[in-house]
Amino acid sequence: MASLLQPDRVLYLVHGEKKIRSPLSTLYFCRYCSELRSLECVSHEVDSHYCPSCLENMPSAEAKLKKNRKRICNQLNENFRCANCFDCPCCMHTLSTRATNIPAPLPDDPSKTAMKKAYYLACGFCRWTSRDVGMADKSVASGGWQEPDNPHTQRINKLIEYYQQLAQREKLERDRKKLARRRPYMPLAFSEKYGLGTRLQRQRPGAPITSLAGLSLKEGEDQKEINIEPAQALDEVEPLPEDCYTRPINLPEVTSLRQRLLQPDFQPAGASQLHPKHKHLLIKRSLRCRKCEHNLSKPEFNPTSIKFKIQLVAVSYIPEVRIMSIPNLRFQKECQVLLTLTNPVENITHVTLVGCEEGDPEDINSTAKVMVPTKELVLAGKDAAAEYDELAEPQDFQDDPDVVAFRKSNKIGFFIKVVPQREEDGDVTVSFKIRHDFRNLAAPIRPSEEGDAPAEAIWLTHHVELSLGPIIA
Amino acid sequence: IPIKPSGQKGTCANIAAGAVVCVESEIRGDVTIGPRTVVHPKARIIAEAGPIIIGEGNLIEEQALIINSYPENILPDTEGVEPKTMTIGINNVFEVGCVSQALKIGDNNVIESKADLGKNVILTSGCIVGACCQVNTCEVIPENTVIYGSNCMRRVQTERPQPQTLQLDFLMKILPNYHHMKKTVKGTSTPVRN
Repeated sequence: MASLLQPDRVLYLVHGEKKIRSPLSTLYFCRYCSELRSLECVSHEVDSHYCPSCLENMPSAEAKLKKNRKRICNQLNENFRCANCFDCPCCMHTLSTRATNIPAPLPDDPSKTAMKKAYYLACGFCRWTSRDVGMADKSVASGGWQEPDNPHTQRINKLIEYYQQLAQREKLERDRKKLARRRPYMPLAFSEKYGLGTRLQRQRPGAPITSLAGLSLKEGEDQKEINIEPAQALDEVEPLPEDCYTRPINLPEVTSLRQRLLQPDFQPAGASQLHPKHKHLLIKRSLRCRKCEHNLSKPEFNPTSIKFKIQLVAVSYIPEVRIMSIPNLRFQKECQVLLTLTNPVENITHVTLVGCEEGDPEDINSTAKVMVPTKELVLAGKDAAAEYDELAEPQDFQDDPDVVAFRKSNKIGFFIKVVPQREEDGDVTVSFKIRHDFRNLAAPIRPSEEGDAPAEAIWLTHHVELSLGPIIA
Repeated sequence: IPIKPSGQKGTCANIAAGAVVCVESEIRGDVTIGPRTVVHPKARIIAEAGPIIIGEGNLIEEQALIINSYPENILPDTEGVEPKTMTIGINNVFEVGCVSQALKIGDNNVIESKADLGKNVILTSGCIVGACCQVNTCEVIPENTVIYGSNCMRRVQTERPQPQTLQLDFLMKILPNYHHMKKTVKGTSTPVRN
């Protein structure tokens, strides 16, 4: 029975660049445009970076400029990785630091030994330790672990510097042409080659984000000429070892593809070369409506807090339809399905259900005819204190027992009649439109009205699709 | 393997002096338990199809099940079935809720929570069977193998897991304060290690 409450059985249609059907729990509601928004029709912005294991915060700007600019290649790596935490190279779990006591000679008197603490990294899941790859125990608990250097670092650094300079030069040329036509008061980031300078460029969905954007040379610096040697093709390749086909494989030593590709600069084939890498940072993102540029979702800055500063999710504004019980569905026989409607807001909501007409362009998935109740359904407001208030009088809504099965605080159960039209395998799908009144509390109250001026109600219509399950013959 | 006092075969458990076996644990059949072994309450050691010999320094936690059971296609009443002895070495750890039917387990192994060992597996030394991993192949697991993950991936570690001496000492002091213990056999000639 719990499968009826699964969120993907009831889908709401979102009108955006693409028509998206998804459950109400995944949608957002822009109360300035009074429309539903899905994840694909909002713009995602990175708020901050944080490490998921030590929960250390790193605001975006600081994460980029963390290390010395000379080591640019490593900077791109350490940009978005935590300084303290490591990932197990074997199973990708977080490594923990363990201590052992080892006898070590005292620095003053080499003949005596004292117990000193030695630290090593260990994985609690697959029991990998840093001693497995030959990393010596360190005497400090944190900060002593280094990632091995990439032998190609210098070449990559030089290439990046060269291309940055090239991009800078092209940008200046482009700006010079444009400046001739427009006002000279132009943000320099407007035509960056490798970056997403302004929000105008960022609005494009699917545009890649590169971290090269922040690494441009400052205006005053001398532009030294950087020349790179082109890569040279070699004729001779190292031959395969002679026992390549006959040597038996030591299976525990072979790394899996996933282990190998998580270290793209080394890609070790043997497990004894798998070194731990710093942990990748996660992001906190905020969502913004593309039409009106208002924020729909803004999390708190603190990584330990799961609350939101702004949270305009659809379930707190739009009445939610859920399936409560389905009888045996039979081909071309009328069945009665029980649905529930929940009112998320605190004032009374009036809901009207309308079936889809013939030839409705939004109605593409339904495989059954549906008869919805014609009368208007009234939903009581959501009252958080209702369960504690014993003296509350039950509100008297004249409910037609043929239509309304039950009523419980802000929820009602109602019947719809379904006649499946297709006998094939697959779920019976019905769709209808739900029209409800919405009081926009975001709109400013006109100062000319005195006293109680309830916010104006506007009527919103949503297209809802329900998946009722297979036909039982 | 502890020395059994002579003349004590049969269906009672031979618990060596120095072992701490709680009364709430269920021990059925011919079971020998070595010194310095701790058996938690609600652990079950069942010797159905043959005796079980457990060595020293083992740690058998709650709801662990060590069972020497009949093979699936043989009824308990069939004649002519040789009772096979299940041997468990020293310093093993059977974590909470694990099931072990393996007939031969060596030393220093760790069988993590809710792991399941089949009848045909033989564990050598230093193996770690991860939590919820089911191992029911017919093979000898090489030394120092770690079996982990939902797909029972394997890898070899360079050092064997350390014996849980601290934990054993702690439990041997604390458990008698809160539980009654099963009676041990007095006068074995195996000295209790410090």
